[in-house]
Formats: sequence, C-alpha cells, structure tokens
Amino acid sequence: MNLRILGFAALAVLLLASAMVPLSGNGYILSLVYISLLFTGLAYGWNIISGYAGYLSFGQITFFGIGAYVVAIGTTRFHAEWWLCALIGGAFCAALAVPMGYLMLRLQGPFFALGMLGLAQSLRIATDTIPFTGGAEGIYLPPGSNAVHVYYWTLGVLVLAIVLTAWIDRSAFGLRLRALREDERAAGTLGVDTTSSKVQAFVLSAIIPALLGGGYAWYLTYVEPSSIYSTEIELQTVAMAILGGMGTLWGPLVGGILMSQVSESLSTRFPQTHLMIFGALIVILLIALPRGIVPAISERLNRKKTAAKARPQEAVT
Amino acid sequence: MHVELVIQLIINGLLLGGVFALAALGLNVIFGVTRIVNLAHGQIVILTALTCAVIFQRFGITPIEALPGALIGGAILGTLIERLLLRRLPEHAQSREWTSLLITFGVSYFLVGLSLAIFSGDFRSVAYLTDSWHVGGIDFPKAQLLAFILAILIAGFLGILLRSTKVGRALRAASQNLDGARTCGIDIGRMRTLSFALGCGIAAASGALLSMVYAYNPDTGSQFTLISFSVVVLGGLGSYAGAIVGAGLLGLAVSFVGFYGNTHFGSMMPYIVFILVLLFRPTGILGKPATT
Repeated sequence: MNLRILGFAALAVLLLASAMVPLSGNGYILSLVYISLLFTGLAYGWNIISGYAGYLSFGQITFFGIGAYVVAIGTTRFHAEWWLCALIGGAFCAALAVPMGYLMLRLQGPFFALGMLGLAQSLRIATDTIPFTGGAEGIYLPPGSNAVHVYYWTLGVLVLAIVLTAWIDRSAFGLRLRALREDERAAGTLGVDTTSSKVQAFVLSAIIPALLGGGYAWYLTYVEPSSIYSTEIELQTVAMAILGGMGTLWGPLVGGILMSQVSESLSTRFPQTHLMIFGALIVILLIALPRGIVPAISERLNRKKTAAKARPQEAVT
Repeated sequence: MHVELVIQLIINGLLLGGVFALAALGLNVIFGVTRIVNLAHGQIVILTALTCAVIFQRFGITPIEALPGALIGGAILGTLIERLLLRRLPEHAQSREWTSLLITFGVSYFLVGLSLAIFSGDFRSVAYLTDSWHVGGIDFPKAQLLAFILAILIAGFLGILLRSTKVGRALRAASQNLDGARTCGIDIGRMRTLSFALGCGIAAASGALLSMVYAYNPDTGSQFTLISFSVVVLGGLGSYAGAIVGAGLLGLAVSFVGFYGNTHFGSMMPYIVFILVLLFRPTGILGKPATT
C-alpha cells in the first residue's frame, strides 16, 4: 500500500519535472524527453491489449500510422488545426478498432500476432501506393509546427494512458482481462463476456497510439510510409514493455525511461545496427529477466514482507 | 485477355508456389514438433537469398551450387537458435507460446538488422538462367522451372525421411503426441533441436532457390514468414497435401495481382490472403480442423 503511494508520488515528481522541461528553452533536451514520453506512451498503449489481455500484437503501429496520416492529410488538404485532426484520428481509430477487434480477436496466439503484423504491413504498402496519402514521397505538413505544443500534447496523452492503466489495474474490467489472459475458456465459463472485454481493451490500446501518432506527424512536419509505419518504433515499444514488465502498471514507465536513454545513445553511436541491437535486447531480456523489472522487484519486496511477518510467529513456536 | 497470357501467368504462379511450399514445409516441421511459430523463418529465407545473390555476384557461384551449403548453414543456425534461446522455455503452454513468439520476434529483427548492415537495403536478385524454353507459344522460364523441380525434390526427400526412417518416425511421433512419444523413450529435447535444424535448413534451401526467381531486400523477410504461415494455415496444420494446394493458390495470387494490379499490390497479396484465410478458413481448404 505504502509502496503504491510512494510510486504515485515519484510519478507526480517525474511528470512535474517533465512539464518544466520546455521552460528551459533547450531544444535538444526537449527532443530527448519528447521521444521518451512518446515511447513510454506507446508502451502503455501496447500493454493494455498485450500485457493485460494477453493478446500479443505486433501491429499496434497501424493506429500510430493512421493517427499520423489523419493529421498530415487534415492539415494540408482541409487546413484544419493539427490538434483537432489528432483528436479526430483518435476517434477514428477507436471506431475502426471495434469491427477490427471483433474480426481479429477471434484469432489467438500466433495467429493474432501475425495477423496484426500483416495488417500493419499491408497498410504500409497501401499508403505507399495510394496517391491520396502522398505515396512513397510522403506529405510535407504546412509550416507552423511547434515542438513545445506537441510536447505538452504527448505528455497529456501519457498521463491519460497512465491513469487509464491505473484504473484497469484496479478495476473489475482489469480482472476480467487478466482472467482471459490466463485462460480464456475458463474465464468465459465463469461468466466473463470475453469477446466484449477484449474488444474494449483493443479499442483502448488503439486510441493511445493514434493520439501520439497525430502529435508525431506535427512534430516531424513530414510523413512518409516507412518512417511512420516503422518496424523500429514497434520493436522498441515491445522491448520497453517487456523490460519493465508486461501487464503491470509501472512496467512501461520503468522500461520506457531506461530504454529510451539506451536507445538514444545507441542510435547516435550505431545508427546502422539499431534494429539488430533491439532484436538482440528483446531476446536477452526474455531469457535473463522473462517477466520484467517491476514484477522481479515487487516479488522480492513481497518476500521480505512475508518473511518479516513470519519471524515473530517462529519465535513463539 | 489473351488465353496464352493467362496460361503464362498460371504457370509462373504455380512454379513460384512450389518454392513457397518448400518454405512453408520448414515452418510446419518446427511447429509440428515444438508448437512454436518461428517468426524468424522468413528472415532466414531472405538472409540466405541475399547471401546467394552476393556470392553469385562476387565469385560466380550459382545458387544451385550453393544449395547444399545453404541447407547446412540453415541447419546450424536453427540448432543454435533452439539450443541457445529456446531450450529453457517454460513448459506451461500459455507462457511457452508467449515467450517463444517474443523471442523469435526478437531474433527476426536481429536478422533484419544484420542483413541491413551486411547487404544494405537494396533489392537484389540473381540473374542466372534468365532465358526460357518455348513450348507451344508458352514460356517456361528456366530458373523458375529449376527452382520448382528442386523444391519438389527436397520436399519429397523430406517426406521419405519423415515416413521411412527411424528418426523421421520419432519426429512425427513427437508432433502427434508429446507425452506418448516421451513414454516410448523418444528424447523430446533432441527432437525439438532436430526439428529446428531441419526446419531452418529447409528455410535456407528455399531461400537459395528463391534467390533466382524473386526480388528481395532485408525487409522482405516478414513477407516470407507470413507467406509460409498462410500456406501452412491454408493447408490446415499438419496436412501436407493441403499445404501444396495452398502454396499453389498463393503463387497464383501473387502472379496475377502482380501483373494486373501493380507490383505493390502484388507484394501486398500475401498479407491479404493471410488475413482472409485466418478469418474465413482457419481450418484450411482441405478442411482438417486445426488443433492448437
């Protein structure tokens, strides 16, 4: 209990500190922290469907991409405000995720994982081909991009994602998701409406990347299929959630903070081998620390607590 | 539409389907014994194809000559992946599936990164046997035909191995009933390693054949994981006849859409077929219910 309060206090300090970053006026630091916030947010989004509900998705980048393209097209063709477009992108992805969830979530295990990967890839190829989305040349967004605005937008979405996850972590809905992760058939037998629970989880983990993608497009001021539907972004998101601990409230945060620093120094030092290192990192993590940092730590603390409780009794007998 | 053109496209599609079938066979062998879907499968295919392209360019060694080397190299890689990374997977079915998917996902991108670092992102292809035989107004491209024949030969050889040798029977026993096989004294750990060696060896062999008939770059790998997986699913898990029909259909789809649509949509085909199959025909075309 105390630990939870401590965690939230640390989080509050962290968020406040990140809210101050733009005041420093240092563009480099701003961009560094922005990337950390972005990836941590993405990891939180992924964590809902894959961590809590147990449906491993290698295609959440789909929604990130759609969000980014809605902003790119909305600002260039319809001259709308970027944040309005980003909100529309979020709403659109939420709406899209309902039928998509009903179809795709009938698939399980490797079928779902590969199905989502296939979906993301075909969308990337479609975006590459269709003139409306600018094809392979991409789209240049109109001038007026402001990194500070995008920064606060992303921070806001991250807070939303954390609040959402904190709620899931504690609510009956979260319990339902965890039940169907452990054994879907048993959960169904116990009266959990598995289909609607997992579709809801899918919708939530579609909205977050969509909102973040919208901001990212405005931040980059240029979108093109391979940098938006980027396997590197997907890979890094997955790696962060695994490092911190899938299906936990603090996992994506811990993983996000640690990994984005590693990633930044890697990509400046070895830009060519970024994919290779992240691929290897995922494998090593899964072997060395299969459940992530957060569960490993909380387990150790719990053991200490129970040990402390057990000792007086031992003295009695 | 010219009839000859249609026949031509059908022939090209079916020949390509032969190579797809071989690639899928490798995935199927691994899945059968270990219940692991090796997400790095396509990357092994492409890594081999890229290596063949470079070897051909530099030293003039043709993919056919490189085939035995590819087979052995793939088998070694498969053994390493199983022994070093997948040995200590939890036995509990759910976490086993999760962890194996994530690990092979990691391996696949490790290999993409590796291929990018070595071969750059350029599309490559081996220009070997580029002419064709003309029979009655229809072209039989030599490279495609040769790749097809070799793919069928390797697949047939594997079939004989699985059917009539002691090791093959042990492998099949392990894929049908793990506990039963264990009770009969079959070393399951060894069978798992063997299935990975065999599966990755076949993947590499199909990569060598593919290097002559397809254009590819490091990013094409995930396409081949999905192609192989769709073929397996189309055929129904464990049904070899179905897998061959599935591979033929997929080859046809790629060849027709590639011609009438454009090449982009051609390369999108595997994904679309894959998703459609999963959604509407998850038990395969020849209809054995898939057991997971």
